[in-house]
Amino acid sequence: MEWAWLIPVLSFAAVPVIIVLGRFLTGKVSHRSAAALAIAAILGGFIVFWFVFAGFLAADTDTPGCETGVGTEALTCNYKLTWFEAGIPDALTDSFDRIHLEWGILVDPLTIAMLGLATFVALMVQIYSLGYMHGDPRLDWYYAFHALFIASMLTLVLADNFLLLYIAWELVGLCSYLLIGFWHERPEPREAAKKAFIVTRIGDVGLLVGILLLWSHVGSFSMLETFAAIEAGELSEGVVTISALLLFLGAMGKSAQFPFHVWLPDAMEGPTPVSALIHAATMVAAGVYLVARAFPIFSESQTALYIVASIGLITALGAATIALVATDLKRILAYSTISHLGLMMLSLGALGYTAAIFHLLAHGFAKALLFLGAGSVMHSTEELDVRKMGGLRKVMPITAILFSIGALSLGGIPILAGFWSKDEILIAVNKELPLIFIVLTLLTALLSALYMARAMFVVFYGKFAEQFEHVHDAPKTMSITMGLLAIFAIVFGLVALDLPGPFKGIGYFIFYHEGHGLEFVIWLAALSIVLAIAAFIYGYMAYARKSVNLEGARQRFALPLKVAEGKYYIDELYQWSIDRVVLSFSRFIAWIDRALVNDVGINGPADVTRLLGHGLRRHVTGYVYSYALAMALGLIGLAILWWIVST
Amino acid sequence: MSWFLFIVLSILTLGGGLGVVVTRNVVHAALFLLVSLVAVAGLYLILFAEFLALVQVLIYGGAIIIVLLFAIMLTRSAEYPRISDNRQWPLAAVAAAAVGVVLGAAFLDNSLPQTEPNSPTFGDLANSLFTTWAIPFEVASLVLLVALIGAIIIARTGEDNR
Amino acid sequence: MVPLEAFQVLSAVLFAIGLYGVMARRSAVLIVMSIELMLNAVNINLIAAASHLDGMGNWANFDGQIIAIFIITVAAAEVGLAMAIILRMYRNRATVNVDEINLMKW
Repeated sequence: MEWAWLIPVLSFAAVPVIIVLGRFLTGKVSHRSAAALAIAAILGGFIVFWFVFAGFLAADTDTPGCETGVGTEALTCNYKLTWFEAGIPDALTDSFDRIHLEWGILVDPLTIAMLGLATFVALMVQIYSLGYMHGDPRLDWYYAFHALFIASMLTLVLADNFLLLYIAWELVGLCSYLLIGFWHERPEPREAAKKAFIVTRIGDVGLLVGILLLWSHVGSFSMLETFAAIEAGELSEGVVTISALLLFLGAMGKSAQFPFHVWLPDAMEGPTPVSALIHAATMVAAGVYLVARAFPIFSESQTALYIVASIGLITALGAATIALVATDLKRILAYSTISHLGLMMLSLGALGYTAAIFHLLAHGFAKALLFLGAGSVMHSTEELDVRKMGGLRKVMPITAILFSIGALSLGGIPILAGFWSKDEILIAVNKELPLIFIVLTLLTALLSALYMARAMFVVFYGKFAEQFEHVHDAPKTMSITMGLLAIFAIVFGLVALDLPGPFKGIGYFIFYHEGHGLEFVIWLAALSIVLAIAAFIYGYMAYARKSVNLEGARQRFALPLKVAEGKYYIDELYQWSIDRVVLSFSRFIAWIDRALVNDVGINGPADVTRLLGHGLRRHVTGYVYSYALAMALGLIGLAILWWIVST
Repeated sequence: MSWFLFIVLSILTLGGGLGVVVTRNVVHAALFLLVSLVAVAGLYLILFAEFLALVQVLIYGGAIIIVLLFAIMLTRSAEYPRISDNRQWPLAAVAAAAVGVVLGAAFLDNSLPQTEPNSPTFGDLANSLFTTWAIPFEVASLVLLVALIGAIIIARTGEDNR
Repeated sequence: MVPLEAFQVLSAVLFAIGLYGVMARRSAVLIVMSIELMLNAVNINLIAAASHLDGMGNWANFDGQIIAIFIITVAAAEVGLAMAIILRMYRNRATVNVDEINLMKW
């Protein structure tokens, strides 16, 4: 288990090797070696993960480095190394006078879950990319960025202190920028990459300030020490609330929560496997992970929890409605991701720690599957507008089946993974939050099933779109990886159950304060099942069979439809505020810079010097007798001075 | 008697000097300078500095005036008979007068105990020059040599004209 | 007898005349002549002091005369060099007027 650091390090090590090899090898050899290295690195990580998992299951509080975690009360193992120490040696006694920084890894159930999800999805995505990115001229860079991306994410989930977490956090942001803008020859990916980077950056500032705020009160970056200090009540309530909200700001940026969700749909401009990685395992999961990791901070502040829940609900509902009307297949999936991330945040805000992580995992598998399926469709048809598709199951049956599994799982059809995790969220929300929350959550669940049904039925069922007659199904590398993911999307939900054997369900593995078995509220489960199945039946009728005419509804709800199709005009609002507020303020600052700083502050002294020089150089006439005269006048001046002084 | 000589020689000295600085003719200026320098030699005689008087006549009256006349001759140009002063001459006059006043005032303000005019013998002078002042004397001869070589190198029609 | 002050005032006036010549004349030759006047003024002063004053400390009462000898020596060297420079200047620029030699400015 001490070797968990090897998981990210393997991928980190692969990055320079890939880049250097890419310099010396050319063409296919370079691409193959790059792909082989990256996949080998993440495969190694995946194998190490199982050893770590096994080691963790075998460990107890007597194992060196392990103890009962603060807040979570789960087994938490912490291995660290001194990074550096700064400060005066004489002040060794007072920890506040010196800075003691450590690298360290933290292995607890949350980390294990994230490691498993990230390594598995990354492995699948990288293998899938072999087929999807086949023939791309910059494949070596693609794999280098991929390896760096996943290594950063793995570091992020392993980090035992906020500083290391922040470094990994920024690296994840950088890699998402590089990968979203991977096809930088076209303008849209460039813009999308910049947008993703800048929007998440706004949140990152909050995260940094939050980390520093905690550090200034606790005196350590270590998470365990910080949590212990908060548990012990050393920090005032205000500080806890503010730092929690600042951390949440970072999480909002990364996890695309309203109002920072705008980057995620645009991030679709990157290669589709990258989208799968971002949506399932790395980028957006980081925000949810952060809130879960810092849950001892959040749980101390009722205000922070309420805000997290509210933001999550707003995001979930808003994104779900947009997903229902979006026409680009990848955008539907993107808004679906935003919606589900909102549900996770809502769950965390409702103290549904287990439910949130469970849903993160279940959603991760399903969404990776869906994206890879969408990528497969896109790879074959080079078309993304769902209105032009239809009946594709005729030409690509494997993709159709696998995509449908993902959609059904995410839509919450019973016994598939998404059903269980969504049920957990509903129970948590019902238990902790007012009635309005559960009503809106159910509405979101309904919408979620409905847009999944729409995506699935419109693309793969119904009337066959003739222009795709010669389309082929996905190559083996792609279909096998999708198949593996599909297995998880089907059976992963069963971990919620108390299966025979030592494993008593996920509620006893990932928990906060105390483990609990699978809870089942009959009326909620029944309601969610009815809603999901109804949504899919309705979707089948409306989109596949076309037996329900949507035109009437479309005309009746013209205005809300238009608003939803316009994505609530949030992008336009941002554009307007940037144009009107930010840019005019920037122009004002630029004017100050030009007029005051440059013209007065810098050119001013220069001009004065130049003018003085222009004037004064006249005295250098070049005439010898002028100099002689000057000497004589100087002599007279000295004499007068002496005379004045002496009398 | 000495007062009479002093006044006559003073008038000659200053008159020659003024002639040098106001005349429009360069050759006249050189001749005025000759008058002034010889008169200065006379002043040295009043001060019982016979050796210096001799040297003054020899070097100034002989060598330097001749060199200056050669220079005038070699650099003769059309405007020579009517040389003029530059534009700043009034200011120069004021400044020069002021410097004169400053110097005179400084001299008159600091009177020292005086003895009768006296003079060393040639022997004393020579002894002093070749014992106490031996090194400066050698340096001075070196300066003369260097100046001579330098003057030749500067003034000759050298290779750069080829 | 003529007091020291008379010679000193004479030398001051001669020095002022020479200084005026240096500052007011255009021809380099005349400037050199004016410098000679100033040197002579200094010599008059030195020799008058040597003749009227006692020696002080390490200075013999006639050391002024010796310094005057050096001044005459240096003046001779200076005139020689100055004339060489003037000749050179005349050959290069066809003039000896210093106000036409004003490249060393600005």
